Amino acid sequence: MPYTEYWNPKNETLPREQLQALQLRKLRRLCEWAYATTPFHQRKFDTVGFKPEQLKTLDDLRRIPIMTREEWMESLQEKPLFGDMLATDPNNAIRYHLTSGTTGRTPIRVLDGMKDWDWISEMWCYGLWGFGVRPEDIVYFAFGYGSFIGFWGAHYACEKIGSLVIPGGAQTTEARIMQIIEMGVTTVCSTPTYALHLWQKAKERGIDLAKESNVNKVILSGEPAGSIPAVKHQLEEAWGAKCGDTAGMTEIGTIMIFECSHQPGGTHIIEDHFIEEVLNPVNDGPAGYEELGERVVTSFGRGFIPLIRYRTKDMVMKVPASACSCGRTWDLYSGGIRGRWDDMKLIRGTNVYPRAVEAIIREYAAIDEFQIYIWRKEEVQDEITIKLEIKPGHEAEWVVLQQKLAKDLANAHEGLRFNIERVEYGVLPHFELKAKRLVDVRPVVQY
Amino acid sequence: MANTDTDLLGSRLTEQERELLNVYEALKKLASQDDLPPCAARNVRRALMSMWQATNDLDLQFEQLYEFGV
Repeated sequence: MPYTEYWNPKNETLPREQLQALQLRKLRRLCEWAYATTPFHQRKFDTVGFKPEQLKTLDDLRRIPIMTREEWMESLQEKPLFGDMLATDPNNAIRYHLTSGTTGRTPIRVLDGMKDWDWISEMWCYGLWGFGVRPEDIVYFAFGYGSFIGFWGAHYACEKIGSLVIPGGAQTTEARIMQIIEMGVTTVCSTPTYALHLWQKAKERGIDLAKESNVNKVILSGEPAGSIPAVKHQLEEAWGAKCGDTAGMTEIGTIMIFECSHQPGGTHIIEDHFIEEVLNPVNDGPAGYEELGERVVTSFGRGFIPLIRYRTKDMVMKVPASACSCGRTWDLYSGGIRGRWDDMKLIRGTNVYPRAVEAIIREYAAIDEFQIYIWRKEEVQDEITIKLEIKPGHEAEWVVLQQKLAKDLANAHEGLRFNIERVEYGVLPHFELKAKRLVDVRPVVQY
Repeated sequence: MANTDTDLLGSRLTEQERELLNVYEALKKLASQDDLPPCAARNVRRALMSMWQATNDLDLQFEQLYEFGV
């Protein structure tokens, strides 16, 4: 029997009226669960007098207060390690992951139970199957497998699909290239930046991946570039393969959008497992189709940490399902995640908040002024460099400080490498008001 | 055995859906037994975890399983 195009034909083609009825039913149950089990949500709902039984239509969703990352961080700081957001005993967890925090060293820590962790891979199955991954595929993960959630879910999704999974793990880029060719890999999962880096390194060794590898699909995640036409075109030429974008976040543990094999220039929303609202970032009113707005997500998956109307700060533009020819009834984000409404930067898949970086730098009394300099190495790899001036009289501390600061910053950012560069005293601009210590010289994205 | 005739949208269950839901309910019943040997207890939970995905994807149930450690 030939494969169906959809992972879940029933819901991926469900008429929108029924899809919304399903979302309303799930939303009410999720709110009942969250209210009954988590002090965080009890407090939030009570503050505005919201009761789950008030959810009569999907429009009633707007009665629920919006949840912010700052509130989550406050909860974590007031009640370490997980705040008052856990809906069940931590002993029920089988998995721990984290993402970098908005301020200082405190990361956002998440726990998953058995079914939640499997649900995370289930969402990846929707996306991977939708882009054409099948049991016959040999899938390579160019991924470091740390406590950053990254491609963990995709790895287990490919096992579930029945593909042969090759975990790239801690190897050199050169070793990974050789493994991709030697093992006849058909699908590579990577950030866009690293996919370009792999191609460039292969080229330096005289290897043409488009001709010498069997790769026909590259699954991209972790950076917006996967939906930027110019980058995608470059990657598809380089690899001789179709490139598909996906996007997720540690806060929900998995992807909520994916590009299907029809490559419509956007990413479908997995609408039977998420409600994705797009709001006007100024007045929080709903944004219509083809209007830029802010993503606000409600997830029906991870029951351990219920996420209801979570403000993401992601910039998106929703378009109707009819914008794609695949037959799914799920709406899309045209151009995927287009950027941010706040100052968060994405460096090689890791969230970096300038405030958090500054809080760590300020712990070092020997540092006078600094600059967070974000740039692109050899046109493919995003880098973050902290340029800093040492206070006169503290020069002897530089060598130790350089190593320790790099380690502190990496520890607070899922192991991300920070370059630490000392500049002569007086070279950096000094500010009295409205300091601008962030300089991002990467090329501006074009949709 | 499943004690419902309809899915979350109120549509009648197909024969296939009923079978899936029956397997899911049977696994829940097994998971609630506290005298299974570890090899059975833990693998029943793994199976229940998987059946939750199938039955949830098909709109047959939407519930939490932490009481079973799943």
